[in-house]
Amino acid sequence: MASVELKQVHKAFGDNPIVRGVDLEIASGEFMVLVGPSGCGKTTLLRLIAGLEQADRGDIYINGKRVNDAAPRERDVGMVFQSYALYPHMTVRENLAFALTLRKLPRAEVEARVQVAAKMLELGPLLDRKPKALSGGQRQRVAMGRAIVRSPQVFLFDEPLSNLDAALRVQMRGELSRLHQQLKSTMIYVTHDQVEAMTLATRLAVFNQGILQQHGEPLALYQQPANRFVAGFLGSPAMNFLPARVQGARLEGQGFSLPAPPGAPDQREVIVGVRPQSVTLAAQGELRGEIEAVERLGAEGFVYLRTASGPLVARFEGVPSLHVGEAVSVAVTQGALLLFDPAGGARIEASAEKALAAAR
Amino acid sequence: MIAALFLAFAAAAPRPVLLWHAYRAAEEDALIQLVDRFNAEQGDYRAELLALPYDAFASKLTSAVPTGHGPDLFIFAQERIGGWARQSYLQPLDGEAKAGEFPSTALQAVTFEGHVYAMPLALKSVALYRNRALVPEAPRTSDELIAMATKLTDPARGKYGLAYPVSDFFFHAAFLTGFGGRLFDEPAHKLVIDTPEAVRALTLVRSLALEKRLIPEEPTGTLVTAVFNSGDAAMAINGPWFAGEIHGVDYAVSPLPIISETGLPMRPLLSVEAALISARAREPEGAKRLARYLVSRDAAVLRALVGRQVVATSAAYDDPRVGNDPLLSAFRAQAEVALPADNTPQMGAVWEPEKRALASVLSGGASPADALAQAQRRLTAITRAAPPEKSPWPYLAALAAGLLGLGFLARRKLRGGGGDLPVTALSRGTLRAYAYVAPAFISILVLVALPFAAGMGLSFFHHGEGHYTFIGLQNFIDILASRDYRISEPMSFYFTLGVTLLWTLANVTFHVGIGLFLALLLRDPLLRFKGVYRVLLIVPWAVPNYITALVWKGMFHRQFGAISALLVAFGLSPISWFTRFSTAFAANVVTNTWLGFPFMMVVALGALQSIPQDLYEAAEVDGASRWAQFRHITLPLLRPALLPAVILGSVWTFNMFNIIYLVSGGDPGGSTDILVSEAYRWAFQRNEQFGFAAAYSTLIFFFLLGYSALTRKLSREPGLESA
Repeated sequence: MASVELKQVHKAFGDNPIVRGVDLEIASGEFMVLVGPSGCGKTTLLRLIAGLEQADRGDIYINGKRVNDAAPRERDVGMVFQSYALYPHMTVRENLAFALTLRKLPRAEVEARVQVAAKMLELGPLLDRKPKALSGGQRQRVAMGRAIVRSPQVFLFDEPLSNLDAALRVQMRGELSRLHQQLKSTMIYVTHDQVEAMTLATRLAVFNQGILQQHGEPLALYQQPANRFVAGFLGSPAMNFLPARVQGARLEGQGFSLPAPPGAPDQREVIVGVRPQSVTLAAQGELRGEIEAVERLGAEGFVYLRTASGPLVARFEGVPSLHVGEAVSVAVTQGALLLFDPAGGARIEASAEKALAAAR
Repeated sequence: MIAALFLAFAAAAPRPVLLWHAYRAAEEDALIQLVDRFNAEQGDYRAELLALPYDAFASKLTSAVPTGHGPDLFIFAQERIGGWARQSYLQPLDGEAKAGEFPSTALQAVTFEGHVYAMPLALKSVALYRNRALVPEAPRTSDELIAMATKLTDPARGKYGLAYPVSDFFFHAAFLTGFGGRLFDEPAHKLVIDTPEAVRALTLVRSLALEKRLIPEEPTGTLVTAVFNSGDAAMAINGPWFAGEIHGVDYAVSPLPIISETGLPMRPLLSVEAALISARAREPEGAKRLARYLVSRDAAVLRALVGRQVVATSAAYDDPRVGNDPLLSAFRAQAEVALPADNTPQMGAVWEPEKRALASVLSGGASPADALAQAQRRLTAITRAAPPEKSPWPYLAALAAGLLGLGFLARRKLRGGGGDLPVTALSRGTLRAYAYVAPAFISILVLVALPFAAGMGLSFFHHGEGHYTFIGLQNFIDILASRDYRISEPMSFYFTLGVTLLWTLANVTFHVGIGLFLALLLRDPLLRFKGVYRVLLIVPWAVPNYITALVWKGMFHRQFGAISALLVAFGLSPISWFTRFSTAFAANVVTNTWLGFPFMMVVALGALQSIPQDLYEAAEVDGASRWAQFRHITLPLLRPALLPAVILGSVWTFNMFNIIYLVSGGDPGGSTDILVSEAYRWAFQRNEQFGFAAAYSTLIFFFLLGYSALTRKLSREPGLESA
């Protein structure tokens, strides 16, 4: 168990900056998920922490100790690779025991720790198999077991579930949560899947183009995204964005007029953000649009519209009769609107909220 | 009218006399001119010439003459006359070649068991060449020669009084005869090597070479030419062919001197090129007439002037153009006192033991007496008497039983494995499949299986003088019992086997070690110009290996080699590489390592690139050091790719004939020979004991078969199946 701290970490490959000045503190025992689209630098950041890459600038601390110049094996981190990187010529038992035998631990202890890890991950019957003879999920568990047996200070996960099918992914997600509760270790987890991020994290850090956008508890990020990127990245389907202008107490856009959140800055161009879950089909709604696609999930569904202000996704319940090309109108739930600066994408906090935050 | 012409032509058409020869250049020109004249001058016969490549000439004759497909007349050295006469390939020419017409030595060379079998054409022996600027007068005695040579010798400046290939018995024989030595014990006609005269002769040569240092070290033919042409050797012992290689030196030739200790002339071996008539000649009369024509005075003069031959016909020297030619007359004078080389097959066995003895004495190893005694033992071993003939029937019965048993087993296996699949039923589909496989099957059968079976079969025979006798397992018994030699002696089969194993082990270790090391270096992502290095490192592999072997052989030369130069540059003394087993073996291993590592490097490089990088990252995170990563990741994952390469490499090395033959040549004393070079020597240097050589090869085959079965078993070890 240890804390991890990153201070102004930079990393470029050639002329291509990948990580651009990241500051992040990860407390001991936290489950920190680094999330972002492909190429946002999150995996590189993880490899920097592991020591598999060298930072160009900035400092990395593990448990308060600067580790920039320490080799991976001196950092006492356990890593689960996206490809699992199991040693193909070793049995599961040998894979698990490899790090321990390298440290020349007594045989009995090695065996005991392998057994503990195997039990935790239900690998007992597989111990004498080679990785080739395992299923994807089993391999994944071996890869985790290999990190667990060492009881490292920090666990690093590099998109460990991305090669599994959806059902297995859900199951493994549960196991990972359980594992974290059981081990209470510091875990840093990289994913591009926002569902994984939301469900696993005690804290979430969102990256885009090598820059840390926002970090905090998953729900806080969901509800109060710092900017349009975070707002759009978290949540599925992604948030709708509509350009509008604040005019008094109303938001006036192309073909719609909505009540503005209290304290919205008057006479200003904004981007209105509203999650599809807050947009519902209504006979008399604020917006009208033409149906482009319908996604029926059973109990609910989403409808993709083309409106005068641009594309819009709305949620519906049950199995209403909807057809592509049909014109429908939608209503926006009161108080579900977020406003963003059209220039930088930063969220414009309503003054009331600001006051509330100040009071807190 | 046309018909009449045709008839007239047919009636007058001379019958063709076919003449085979292996002459080249000027000698061939002379022969062509003579045949044209022969055809023009007389109408009864028309001679036709066929030139054959020298290397294939003997075997072509041996196979064509007895079946009657051969020539009427052919030109060959006297060395085969005894063997061929005994097998009745030749027609005796007793009345044709008259005494007095040729030097008596020449006539003696073509006589076998009292009959003359050929018309002597040209005489070939060595004589003494001298650089006239350094040696104005030819020495008449060995003392004079030594005195002159000593004055002109200064090894520090690379100046030598005398140069000739000292380890070659063809040259050394003149010293032997000068001390009154003989090659054969009569009347048994048995080769004898360790005579007191031979010891004295070799002692003299050793003092010339090692004590007085009149002769450059390890003098090969090319080295002799080089030092004589550069004026660094005042005298050389060499044959008439040497004249064509001399450039820019005013030279003269004279007969070899008298040995002062004995008062006897040095008598070099005389080999005689002669015209032989096939016993199956279709035109024996025409062949005789052509042979007589070739040795006639006029023809001989033409051969001497155009072909630059030292013609055997004595009358030709009456012609002033021939008689006054200093080169031709000197060699003819030498031929008159020369020792006619024996024309029986026994002679063939003398070269290898003599060469070994000369090499071991003249490189400073053994004493002459010991070396010659050793050579005598070697001679006895390699001229093994033909084992008693055996009845092949029990063996054929055993073979038949074995084949039947195999067939039965195969049938049962097919039945058992195929279950209800009827083996005999051939549907259209299987027939078509067989048709597709047939070309490959047939070519493997013809190119691999049949020669293999023939070689295997040959190992049950003894071959001597063209006759094969079935002797059962006697070849194998003789090899494996190794009765003549103790295990510690190079001639023992087990010694050779041990050397072969050591040779294979050493080479494969170096090949894999160096190859793997370089592959690891080349894989380094930070290394620049990788492509250039890779190409450079593969070059040794791309050069034909005999060229590499010859280059290294030159570099290992004690006096003129690059390695000696390097040793001297570092203040060390040069090494005589081929006088001790350890250094000779090391020289072989170095050469073969140079040849062998690129293959292993390429294999290792390919295998390394297939190991995923993330395994190393995982290992690094797991706490593995560089070395631990190599041991636990690289090596085990390389094994499946390297193991077949190692098996292949060991089989190649086990049979790496070229390096052994060309670099150490088995020196010293045959100790660095491996099984396959021994097999070669039995077949081609020891009276053509093909059966014995085939038995060696068969043993090699079974040995390697066992080895690959063993390694296959090893490679099936549980640790490997996944990778």
